[in-house]
Amino acid sequence: MNIFTGLLGSALRMSTPLMLGALAEVFVERTGVMNIAIEGIFLIGAWAGFVGAYLSGNLLVGFLAAAIIGMAYGAVYGLITVKFKQHQIVTGTAMNILALGLTSYLYRVLFGAPLLPLTVEPLMDLPIPMLSKIPLIGKALFSQNALTYLAILLMPVGYWVLFRTRVGLIIRSTGENPEAVDAAGINVERVRFLAVLASSALDGVAGAFYSIGFLGMFTSGIIGGRGWIAFALCFLGNWNPVGVMLGALIFGLADALSVVFLTSGIKIVPHEFLIALPYILTIIATISRRRFNVPAYLGKPYVKESG
Amino acid sequence: MNTQSGVKAVELRGITKYFPGVIANNNVDLDLNWGEVLALLGENGAGKTTLMNILYGLYAPDAGEIYINGALASIRSPQDAMRYGIGMIHQHFTLVPVHSVVENVMLGGKAQRRGPMRVEDVAREIEELGNRYGLEVDPFAIVGQLPVGVQQRVEILKALYRGARVLIMDEPTAVLTPQETRKLFRFIREFKEKGNAVIFISHKLAEVMEIADRITVLRDGKVVGTLSRTQASERRLAYMMVGRELKTPTRTRQKRSGRKILEVKDLVVKGDRGNLAVDHLSLEICQGEIFGIAGVSGNGQEELAEAICGLRQIEGGKVILDGQEITNANPLTIIKAGVGYIPSDRRREGLVLDMSVEENVILRRYFNPEISNHGIIHRRAVHTQATKLVQEFKIKTPSLATKTKALSGGNQQKLVVAREYITGSKVLIAVQPTRGLDVGAAEYVQTMLSRASAEGKAILLISTELAEILALSDRIGVIYRGKLLEIIDRAKATVEKIGLLMAGIRGERNAGVE
Amino acid sequence: MQALNNLTTQIAGMVLDRMKQRDQSFWLVFSPILSVILGLLGSGLMMLLLGQNPITVYYNLFRYAFRDIYNIADIFAKSTPLILTGLAFGFAFRASLFNIGAQGQFYVGALAAVVCALHLEGAPPILALLACFLASATAGGLWAAFIGYTKARFNANEFLVSMMSTYIAIAIMNFLIRGPLKEAKGEYPQTDVIPANTWLPPLIPHTRLHWGFLLAVAVALIAYFILWKTTLGYKIRVVGHNQVAARYAGINTKRIFVIVFSISGAFAGLAGFTEINGMQHMLIEGFNPQIGAEGIGIAILGNAHPIGILLAALLFGALKVGGNLITQTSEIPASIIGIIEGFVMLAVILSYYLQNKIRTWRSKKALKSREGVTL
Repeated sequence: MNIFTGLLGSALRMSTPLMLGALAEVFVERTGVMNIAIEGIFLIGAWAGFVGAYLSGNLLVGFLAAAIIGMAYGAVYGLITVKFKQHQIVTGTAMNILALGLTSYLYRVLFGAPLLPLTVEPLMDLPIPMLSKIPLIGKALFSQNALTYLAILLMPVGYWVLFRTRVGLIIRSTGENPEAVDAAGINVERVRFLAVLASSALDGVAGAFYSIGFLGMFTSGIIGGRGWIAFALCFLGNWNPVGVMLGALIFGLADALSVVFLTSGIKIVPHEFLIALPYILTIIATISRRRFNVPAYLGKPYVKESG
Repeated sequence: MNTQSGVKAVELRGITKYFPGVIANNNVDLDLNWGEVLALLGENGAGKTTLMNILYGLYAPDAGEIYINGALASIRSPQDAMRYGIGMIHQHFTLVPVHSVVENVMLGGKAQRRGPMRVEDVAREIEELGNRYGLEVDPFAIVGQLPVGVQQRVEILKALYRGARVLIMDEPTAVLTPQETRKLFRFIREFKEKGNAVIFISHKLAEVMEIADRITVLRDGKVVGTLSRTQASERRLAYMMVGRELKTPTRTRQKRSGRKILEVKDLVVKGDRGNLAVDHLSLEICQGEIFGIAGVSGNGQEELAEAICGLRQIEGGKVILDGQEITNANPLTIIKAGVGYIPSDRRREGLVLDMSVEENVILRRYFNPEISNHGIIHRRAVHTQATKLVQEFKIKTPSLATKTKALSGGNQQKLVVAREYITGSKVLIAVQPTRGLDVGAAEYVQTMLSRASAEGKAILLISTELAEILALSDRIGVIYRGKLLEIIDRAKATVEKIGLLMAGIRGERNAGVE
Repeated sequence: MQALNNLTTQIAGMVLDRMKQRDQSFWLVFSPILSVILGLLGSGLMMLLLGQNPITVYYNLFRYAFRDIYNIADIFAKSTPLILTGLAFGFAFRASLFNIGAQGQFYVGALAAVVCALHLEGAPPILALLACFLASATAGGLWAAFIGYTKARFNANEFLVSMMSTYIAIAIMNFLIRGPLKEAKGEYPQTDVIPANTWLPPLIPHTRLHWGFLLAVAVALIAYFILWKTTLGYKIRVVGHNQVAARYAGINTKRIFVIVFSISGAFAGLAGFTEINGMQHMLIEGFNPQIGAEGIGIAILGNAHPIGILLAALLFGALKVGGNLITQTSEIPASIIGIIEGFVMLAVILSYYLQNKIRTWRSKKALKSREGVTL
């Protein structure tokens, strides 16, 4: 397998959780709520996924657990920010700190402190019969795991839902002018809360990818800021599933590149620079893009009865 | 579709609503017949909008019942209201600016329809409705780019699309030119003649007298009385609205003398959308003179004021203050040069609501030597100044440390006016200074402006309230699409002439033009 | 659900009606205490999961905590950098700016301090410490000034830029620690120990409490002074409340962005100085990884007010020391500390919500009773 194919395949794989997380963030931010707890929910998902998969012996159970528990964790965030209208950054930070402690602690509660880390067999690749034989790109594009296929399919679906259905219209309008939505008789809080729930479920699955889709084990540092990259991608992709997909691929590529350089021992640039590359890219992109379609009411709680 | 005489379209009984610190509606009874236009008249803060928001399901009343067509109705959300055939056109449009007309209409869904909503169907129906009622609009236009009068049409179409038979309109003419107002009134008459009903909220007596069949007057949350149009007169309504005789502010007219304090020459300023907001505009104001600019909002007045104060880029032309050029100077320099500015949006632009009264007093003057020295603020000096200001201008506040947002609208504006009175040693620019104020506060502000001119300051008064312009100005300029169409001496100005100019129709030149 | 809601509000309202007189200050003191208690309760429940009795655990904790001066002094020592990172977030928050990059500014400040210290062997202690102090403050300030600049010039989202800058700072630090700055022994990713003349002297002998604590307190007082006694602070607060009005008042909001971020970053950089020269005496890879996030929590707990932040940092310091003691005296793992912190923060947030609810409910009640309307 040559370098190009390996790189492409690796890029797709690494970008999977980013695509899922960023798509989730697009949907929730389009209603005007930032899911600041994203990093924590990724971690919760990674933990829940591993626990579910390990205890049941079934990866699917793991992913389901990640979705459900991630959604439950996100529900708390949603309750505090949407219903109680408290500050999103403050609440999110609290939940991220809590998630770190909780996951480590509960892992210990369940499994104690084994000498060797517990493992599960991560997601296997499912090659598509004929397509995966295509030279050069076949192995990379069509010999991926189930979740990657799902993520790639989900992106155009997400685009279609957001821009071509009434649900999508309501979501977009809630972030642009919640008063218009309110006046149309739609419950703004409910739309936002449901969006938080849905995005948290997706974030949980994305986080689980790291533990049971890729590495096969759980450690407390497994997410390492990638939830934040998904968060940034929503912004950089201009709140559009297509833009987000492109961004995720680029970052997945940067991630894959750094692994290639590390394992092959090539040292053109210091290894740390490659690790920092996605973050530098984010800053550059944040600066250079002048006109963003920020949802007009992003971050502002909707208060109805004002005196 | 019950239009039997005797069954009222809408009845409100005993509606009461509390908000923190105020009773917005106090045991209100109101009724509306089919085929009639009922005007809901009252000052700002009388409770009109709150009452209608309750009828429309946006607020839940703390007491009282609603009857639609004679039957008790449970309205807990706008969706319920729409199901009963009630639609509302709000003062601040509830439109999504970045979406198209169709998308905005589709947002409300189909109260009386079945089946999936397809863009083409909705668009077609919008066109049909538009033609039927004279409310033409392009279904695929982006709402934010439409002129305000057309945006209002979209709001109306939204309600009609959902089968509204009772239309509530909250101050609909505030943003319209006289021409557009005519069109709106034509629509209202046609609508009611088809057996529907309209509730028309307003504080403008003349309009109410023109369009309404009956008039209910609210004051301080209570119903003062209901008159039919034949029974009513402007004077009687004003008395009911305010509780006392209305006093028109008088002013001794200044003779134009003294030196030019503010000169604007050929000014060119761009608007937010890159358009030309101020188009080669020139004017001059002398010491002690009040120059009024009349015009429908959105014709460049605010951009003009901002440009003079250094808050907006000047693309061409000059601004000269007492011989000193201040074109595109930074706002701080201009403040220091003696320009006071009473902005149109006092809550956003003129005050920091979350800060205390004391701290707002020094907002545009914190750098003055008696207040601060080498960057350190002298708290005691601030306190003294604030005390003096509050006393002198009779600003009602529990204490100097009270957060400004706790003050009433009138007192907030008094604070702004008082502060700018002192800041503007040479020039005072006042934009919509009495907007949203009750009569007492409005009178006070107007008195302050008179006093300022008597003290020799040059005053630029920008207002959409024609009565105010006529009462205070020495000379009046009418702004239309960024140009001053004419400058007329007060003595020669009439409502008709200015009304025409506001709509862009130039009259013949007459002797009073400067 | 609604009924329960109302009931809770009513009960709470009745409790508060008793304290109507000193309402404001009552809540200011009461709610953090209540939040801590709730946080400890929640964590106690977690302890049950491990089969440990929380009452025993907490009892042991208090016994050991006050056994001698060492632990108490440790509380102040641990709170020192927290005061500074809390001030970093809180100061920027006053301008409605979000400096999420305090962690990175902390690392950058620590780097500057350690490089400075390693090169100043033999210099008089006062000068050496002064140099490290200046270096760390400047480094942190400049690192953060960049964020402020991107916001001023490009209207960039400072939340994102500051967050990303932390990861870049970490990368730089790791690179240096594994390379040029690596200890002479070459075993671990850390620097050599800094020379004794660059160590911050202890405040109380035989404890870890060092002069850095007094520095942190001084910085808190300076922050207070700036914000409420100077024109700069006034401008910052106006910008924080209402940017539009600030512009109309002639304030150069863009310049304020840069200034605020610089000051904020300098505070965080100083945290690096106190940790390097006062506590660790060397730079270890990935040390104090949560200090930025904890700073955010502390700033919120302290209502973004320097005095509140001071107290909140002491609280968190106590939580940390207590948490460490718990891990030493029982079978509970260190992750309980994060749980306690998280629960306490959530409790504070919920208390804000309750306060508002009660205020509204009481206002409505007052109106109704005044007008004599029965419902």
